[in-house]
Amino acid sequence: MLAMALGLLSIDVSGTAGQALLAATSSQVNSAAQRTHGSASAAGDAVYAAHCAICHGENREGILPGFPPLAGIDHQLTDAQIAELIRTGKGRMPPFATMPNEEVTALLKFLATAPATGTTSSASLSLDGRKGLQLSPEAAAGGAIFQQNCAFCHGRDAMGGETGPDLTRSKLVLSDVNGSQIGQVVREGRTNNDKKMPAFRFSGPEISSLAAFIHARVAAADAMKGGRRGVEVSDLQTGNLEAGKRYFNGAGGCAKCHSPTGDLAGVATRYEGLQLEERMLYPGRTARDTVTVTLPNGQEVTGSLAYRDEFTIGLTEHDGTYRSWPTEDVKYTIDSPVEAHVELFSRYTDDDIHNLMAYIQTLR
Amino acid sequence: MIRSDELPMKLFATTLALVIGAILLGATGPRPLAAQDLEPAQLLHPPADSWPLYHGDYSGRRHSKLTQITPENVHDLGLAWAFQTDQPAEIKSSPLLVDGILYFTVPDNIWAVDARSGHMIWHFDHPTTEGDHIGHRGVAMYKEWLYFTTPDAHLISLNAKDGTVRWDKVIADVKKGYWSTMSPLVVHNHVIAGVGGDMDNLPGLLRSFDPETGDVQWEWDATPPAGTPHRTTGGMTWVTGTYDPELNLVYWGTGNPTPVLNGASRPGDNEWTCSIVALNPDTGKLVWGFSASPHDTHDWDAVEIPVLVDGLFHGQPRKMVMQSSRNGYFFVLDRTNGKSLLTVRFGPTNWALGVDKEGRPIPNPDKEPKPDGRLIAPDEGGMTNYRSPSFDPKTGLFIVDAHPSYSLYFTKPADGDYGWAGADYGLWGKGILEAIDYQTGKIRWTHELGPGGAGAGVLTTDAGLTFTGDAEGNILALDTDTGKTLWHSGTGASMQTSPITYELDGRQYVVSGSGGVMFAWVLPQGSATSNSAQASR
Repeated sequence: MLAMALGLLSIDVSGTAGQALLAATSSQVNSAAQRTHGSASAAGDAVYAAHCAICHGENREGILPGFPPLAGIDHQLTDAQIAELIRTGKGRMPPFATMPNEEVTALLKFLATAPATGTTSSASLSLDGRKGLQLSPEAAAGGAIFQQNCAFCHGRDAMGGETGPDLTRSKLVLSDVNGSQIGQVVREGRTNNDKKMPAFRFSGPEISSLAAFIHARVAAADAMKGGRRGVEVSDLQTGNLEAGKRYFNGAGGCAKCHSPTGDLAGVATRYEGLQLEERMLYPGRTARDTVTVTLPNGQEVTGSLAYRDEFTIGLTEHDGTYRSWPTEDVKYTIDSPVEAHVELFSRYTDDDIHNLMAYIQTLR
Repeated sequence: MIRSDELPMKLFATTLALVIGAILLGATGPRPLAAQDLEPAQLLHPPADSWPLYHGDYSGRRHSKLTQITPENVHDLGLAWAFQTDQPAEIKSSPLLVDGILYFTVPDNIWAVDARSGHMIWHFDHPTTEGDHIGHRGVAMYKEWLYFTTPDAHLISLNAKDGTVRWDKVIADVKKGYWSTMSPLVVHNHVIAGVGGDMDNLPGLLRSFDPETGDVQWEWDATPPAGTPHRTTGGMTWVTGTYDPELNLVYWGTGNPTPVLNGASRPGDNEWTCSIVALNPDTGKLVWGFSASPHDTHDWDAVEIPVLVDGLFHGQPRKMVMQSSRNGYFFVLDRTNGKSLLTVRFGPTNWALGVDKEGRPIPNPDKEPKPDGRLIAPDEGGMTNYRSPSFDPKTGLFIVDAHPSYSLYFTKPADGDYGWAGADYGLWGKGILEAIDYQTGKIRWTHELGPGGAGAGVLTTDAGLTFTGDAEGNILALDTDTGKTLWHSGTGASMQTSPITYELDGRQYVVSGSGGVMFAWVLPQGSATSNSAQASR
């Protein structure tokens, strides 16, 4: 009921309004608890029920993604750290600056005990039925941002598959330190290819918290082993190598442009699994598209295709100079070798694709 | 100084002047100065100086009778004003225009803008921290009140004059996984709101609210409750439906079933997910349903606009409903009973074995997601998406921004049967505008929109113009007969909403949103052919 009330009222993501709000609502709960309990009890579970349960759950299971579970918190923080948190608050957690000392002490004792029913959380539903994730407060805050803005494409568990890539296998994420790499992609988006990721104007702390959440998800995904969601290298091994080689050199037409000892030498070392299969099917719009523009005076200019719409054609010359013209003033032809990949889409059978994969994976 | 014996005379003269003035005002003004309000009758017959609901009118055709802008003069179209929202979310909302004021949205935000100057009158900005903030399609209006859905699945009623909140009601429980992004549909005294939420196993629903009190009048659920054995959940209702006042039927498209990519736990057609349904707006009872994508396993919501057209179909007059659906099929149904008249593909698809005798595609079991993946056309975003198509009665063309595309789809037992339950990856796609002959499904002309895909909705007018946007941020005016470009302007971001048009002060405006900016386009003053403009010179 109160959780719904929290949802009703506007809570600023940055926290200041939210703190005031939560303080107000928790004081309402406090006075309600006092009415039911008579004079305030010093017993830790009563203190917890009065002040903490509305956010952290009746059994300390948390309400993910926003409010972290507290089971086992005594393993993560010292008593002094917990007491400090209670007094000063953090992020959307309001400060309980005036809580009597004996109540804080009772709370600390209580938090050191195991919850009655273990650590499964209501949030297990939000992660595909698996157990709720223990998140640091920073990662929990990042989780809230992630659910609102990222989960639709990257999945609530960050394991991708809803048009956005699996972040838990991303080389960029794995090389990220506290948002160093993630921040750039989030702030700039990815609009220079067929897959459009918008840009998000998050602050430094928000990016840090997002990165913390994503790294927590990487750890969780690694812990899942065989039970993890997504596409494993082993999933893609249903093809026939010889059939794949025949297709490459025959009906597929791949050998017209590609060579296993030339451009494709070592491709299966550079890429593996899903990423290799995606690139095999469509390597992306690359700088290899070239355009030749014929000017009114007959002069031809050739370069790599830099921009094209109905009205403007732009290229980059060999020396890096960018040039463009109104399309109504010039004639142009585009050579796009990758179009051969597009033409194959309507011709492949799924067996062809799996067989090709079997063959391509030998090109180490 | 006034002498006392002059008073009665002065009073009489003043009174007379006031009375004469009032008569003159009444005689020359178009109508009395009304409050900013929208009477339900105006929803049935929208005046030229309005765009009173998401589609412009109840039919969903997004076709305007205005003819001031023509193929001959459209090359002179220019910017009247631009409104910068100065925030990063892309505009996906179709604005309303009522009494000279535009209302449009992004998640958690509403702007009221003076349509003459482009300046802001008020701005509602109440951030929410739960629910998907993926986009927002706009407000609805009834009398002097606006109705606004929120990411945490609430319906808020606001005073249109100043954006103050009158009441705030729950559509569905965000904690279960629901959110809302849609523009509600106002029919009689019903404000009908829908939801999103296909990352959990939840039934889609529509809730009808009393426009004055916000009390819930009825709820329609697209599927049985979660946990019903062998039955699906899903069927989200996140795009605004259409309404036929004569039949008194509301038409709505529903989203995909859940679990999404794994259909094993939900055998059968999975009604009423991926369906076009006809409901009674007063009771919420289902009158008929049609499965556009039976037993879908590719997330192909059939929420696309159910466009209502009265016309001939193979020589017979018919009341029809048409949908260019996400799964790649164009459907024409008899909207009195839901029977299929035509089912054709409007782009490359590879997932069906054919079409059954009810006019429904037959999914190929071998093209359901598999552990080693399947190549699927179209991709998860679909052959089209929420962006509005347009129907032009003169040419009989149904014009849609299409997205031929290919993707890989996977599912395996470890992915479970909750939520997405698998993974899909788009490989390639492009945008192409298609003008479909509704009686045959033949595509009469196409217009390339760019690699990746465009995303803009379509508006047509009686003058023979088609307005849309391409992938590179150009707004385009095309000749509806041929698809040829007659005018364009670069806007700096690709349009992710659908354009609108209205007449104001004798001038026809086209309003389009792209990126975070709303643009108003108009012919230069005096170049229009309206008589009043010329007479005043």
